[in-house]
Amino acid sequence: MMENKLIAGLAGVALVLLFNAPQSACANAPTPEQILQRVDANMVFESAISKTSMTITNRRGRTTSIISKSWSKGEKNALVEYLAPARNKGTKMLMLDDELYTYSPAADRIIQISGHLLRQSVSGSDLSYEDMMENDALLEVYDAVLDSEEVWDGRNCFVLALKAKKMEIAYPSRKVWIDSERYLPLKEERYAKSGKLLKKIEIRDLVRTQNRWYPREIFFKDMLSNGQGTIYRIEEIQFGVDIPEHLLTKAALRR
Amino acid sequence: MFKFLVKGLIRDRHRSLLPIIVVALGVLITVYTYTYMKGVFGESLEIAAIFDSGDVKITSRAYYAEKDEAPNDLALENTGDLLGQIRKDFPELAWSERIKFAGLVDAFDSDRVTRAQSGVRGVAIDLLGSDSSDRDRWQLETAVTEGRAPENPREILITQKLAERMKINVGEEVTLITNTINGAMSAVNLTVSGTVYFGVGFMDRDLILADLKDIRWILDMEGWTSELLGFFDLPAYDDEIATALADDFNLKHADSSDDPYGAVMNTMLDDSGMREYFNYAENAGSIVIIIMITAMGVVLWNAGLMSGIRRYGEMGLRLAVGESKGHVYRSLLGESIAVGLVGTFFGTLLGLGLAFYLQEVGIDISGMMGDAEIPFPTILRAKINGMAFVIGVFPGVMSTFFGAALSGLAIYKRNTAALFKELES
Amino acid sequence: MVLLQLALKNIMGAKLRTWLNIFVLAMSFILIVWGKAIVVGMGDQIIDAMKDVELGYGGQLWHPDYDEEDPLTINDAHGSIPDELVPGIEAGQIVPILMATGNIYPEGKVRSVLIRGISPDQQILDLPSSVLKDRKGVDYPALIGKRMARKNNLAVGDMVTVRWRDTNGVFDAREVEIVHIMNTVVYTVDVGQIWFPLETLQKMLVMPNEATIIALGKDTGIAGDLTGWTYKSLDDLLANVLELLRMKNGGGNIMYGIMFSIALLAIFDTQVLSIFRRKKEIGTLMALGLTRNKVIGLFTLEGSLHGALAFILGGILGFPFFRYFAVKGYAMPIEGDEYGFALGNVIYAKYGADLLIGTTLLLMATVVLVSYLPTRRISKMTPTNALRGR
Repeated sequence: MMENKLIAGLAGVALVLLFNAPQSACANAPTPEQILQRVDANMVFESAISKTSMTITNRRGRTTSIISKSWSKGEKNALVEYLAPARNKGTKMLMLDDELYTYSPAADRIIQISGHLLRQSVSGSDLSYEDMMENDALLEVYDAVLDSEEVWDGRNCFVLALKAKKMEIAYPSRKVWIDSERYLPLKEERYAKSGKLLKKIEIRDLVRTQNRWYPREIFFKDMLSNGQGTIYRIEEIQFGVDIPEHLLTKAALRR
Repeated sequence: MFKFLVKGLIRDRHRSLLPIIVVALGVLITVYTYTYMKGVFGESLEIAAIFDSGDVKITSRAYYAEKDEAPNDLALENTGDLLGQIRKDFPELAWSERIKFAGLVDAFDSDRVTRAQSGVRGVAIDLLGSDSSDRDRWQLETAVTEGRAPENPREILITQKLAERMKINVGEEVTLITNTINGAMSAVNLTVSGTVYFGVGFMDRDLILADLKDIRWILDMEGWTSELLGFFDLPAYDDEIATALADDFNLKHADSSDDPYGAVMNTMLDDSGMREYFNYAENAGSIVIIIMITAMGVVLWNAGLMSGIRRYGEMGLRLAVGESKGHVYRSLLGESIAVGLVGTFFGTLLGLGLAFYLQEVGIDISGMMGDAEIPFPTILRAKINGMAFVIGVFPGVMSTFFGAALSGLAIYKRNTAALFKELES
Repeated sequence: MVLLQLALKNIMGAKLRTWLNIFVLAMSFILIVWGKAIVVGMGDQIIDAMKDVELGYGGQLWHPDYDEEDPLTINDAHGSIPDELVPGIEAGQIVPILMATGNIYPEGKVRSVLIRGISPDQQILDLPSSVLKDRKGVDYPALIGKRMARKNNLAVGDMVTVRWRDTNGVFDAREVEIVHIMNTVVYTVDVGQIWFPLETLQKMLVMPNEATIIALGKDTGIAGDLTGWTYKSLDDLLANVLELLRMKNGGGNIMYGIMFSIALLAIFDTQVLSIFRRKKEIGTLMALGLTRNKVIGLFTLEGSLHGALAFILGGILGFPFFRYFAVKGYAMPIEGDEYGFALGNVIYAKYGADLLIGTTLLLMATVVLVSYLPTRRISKMTPTNALRGR
């Protein structure tokens, strides 16, 4: 079994690409499963601490950068703390399995983000909290087919077409472009049931660290609206760091 | 000769007092009805002005284009300078800064865990400033049904309905969750200092009323204002004045006309989309008033006619002693003008007095409605404008004159003998 | 009888004055009836429009979770249409409506929208739903109102992207074609709404045979809850509007009071003057042996005859006028909905029996009263003084 996921991080601040799966790489004659497994070798980690920035362009054409630090453990647990801008400093987001909490130091409240709040945009970005929370393993919920091979952004890519196996998947189909040499997704398109393109994600910059390729800059765009898109950048990342158990609990949010 | 006629009128109370009372009464009714109608038609405009539009409103162009969505990210920046400028340029107006916003109110229990959540619309006004004009404008004294108006930062008012639905008690702390203009989530605790009921349908559903300073901070809008409402010191909205002002303002700010975030002024009618309603109210009001004046005119004409007929005998006598027909007729007309003027004067005075009372104090009929504290719709109000001072002249003077003129024609038609006989009969 | 003849003769003798009084009274009568009828007509029209377009005449069945004031709950409020309603639905007399929230993207801007599905074959709601029927080559025909069209800059034939989530939360989005822009006075079916054929929307949402509310025609015989559905009578549905109209009506009554007082002032005025002027006649009548009460009766009758004649004149003059406004209506320069009522730009006056009889009785009663009041001074007269005109 393999899991592949593109998790947009919390509150648009930490967005961590997690591809989490048992590591069983197979180098040649790649089937879609094998391709995704190779991807996982790059993307999946036991734990990581990262510092990220998200650049949002508002309607006045002004950009804001939101800087945050994230602690991620496995696929479904992450804590994000805002560092800047000043007014958001200390705000935290906690993803615990399928639940999302936010802690506001100003209100000293832990509030669960649920219901229609989940559909709202994260910090004015092109991502909703729901997009961010969407963390079912790709191969668990999608059937993958190798559609074609294509050159994109100067790199040779496998194009995988993903079709949902289950009814309850927000995006019933996706297309993922995977660098055939580095085994890293470079582009993803998410489609509506009708086949209409809803969201586009592009990896615009890569970094090689701790013996793996990892995205450095990701661009998100809601394709139905005419906004500017959101740029998400991983400034620093460290894999395999020990994260204390108590950090990823609700109780820790207020500390 | 006019003096002589007046003397005669004063001495013969039958010729003066009763007709004057009738004219005054008729004029009173006309004037009162006129101001009342103006008040009734003006009511919905006034509500729109107070709560939403002002008499004029300054926003950014981009904000105005999407004003229904209250797009605070497109609001006016650094309004301090603009405010200083308009206070200097247009000292005759009172200005009120507003921010409208939407969010979630989250009520929590003693463990600080969410117990109820509801979507709300919010309006931020100057609740705490030394200038109390916004508080007065919203009639918070009467509108607060429980608790009190905010006196400290971080205090808000919520509607009675919202308090009931979410079971929020006065004095309780709730969390307002909203987005800053940059899209970041913002959660702040606010204390509910009281509940309000305005008696204006759309205001009483899911509204929270907060202080401008707090909301600026919560929405990350320091120095920004979404809407700058201007209020004339006039009893009723005057479209001509408002339009002229808006044109003047927009001309002064024409250099920024390409800037979507430049300031633009719109009148209440344009902002609220009530121009058509206003025109309709004017038309309908004019129709009713014309009908009223005509009816009143007929009554007074009738009265003038009657007092003329009553005096056929006297005319016969005067003709018999050698007065010319023209002279008798003219004196009759002169008297009618005197009666009309005096009656109109007193009628207008009384009508305006009544209207003034209604305008300034209003008759609170909320007791009759079974609900004691509704500030807005259940107060009968009248509006006095320039027209109210002269409207009584039409039925008061003209109809009386016309009635006398018509009845006096008999002087020419009948012969002296016949008129004289009326005296004897 | 003699008194009646005498009274008639007397008032007819005073030609112009009498006719003027009658005319004024008749005009007031006409104006009051007309004004009331316009207001009644307006109220009825608002209610009728809501019944016609939005509510239906037999009440509605609501899914228990449906709360019209809370758009956040709409997506959870849907249920299977009960089988027993199928014959009514096929006859077009029962109209299930399915609702969901979504977004439209006119010119790339996101706007929230309430998506509604309605059967193109429905017969009870005055919505041009039939335009959604059998559109060749149009998979997603959409109907919107003129306000919605204006606000989002949409025209017939335009394609616009609509995004929604089906019952499983799956995103879907389509280019839909605006096939018709309806001109309705009921803004609650217009602003922020987009209509699709019911079956199309059921497919879009994967909610086969489901609805959010069910509007009922006149004779469906349903007047209570069905399993899984809550019955809302017309009175429940109209409660807010009725309350608003009642308040507006209160203001109107003050106007009628004023109009009446003008007419009555004229009668009172006439009576006072006529008694003053006809003292000698009163004296003569008394001298001839009429009791004071009979004289009072005569004068009261004379005054009251004004009322009766005014009623007749009002009827003659008013009939074509009334008829015109009942048939052609009173064209307002704007649409009434601009200020929050579901009201068209033509108001048709409505003359109910209660209005006509009530106004007539009130008119007659007050005319008799003001005719009588000034005559009381007759009772103080002595025949000798009266004969001499004092």
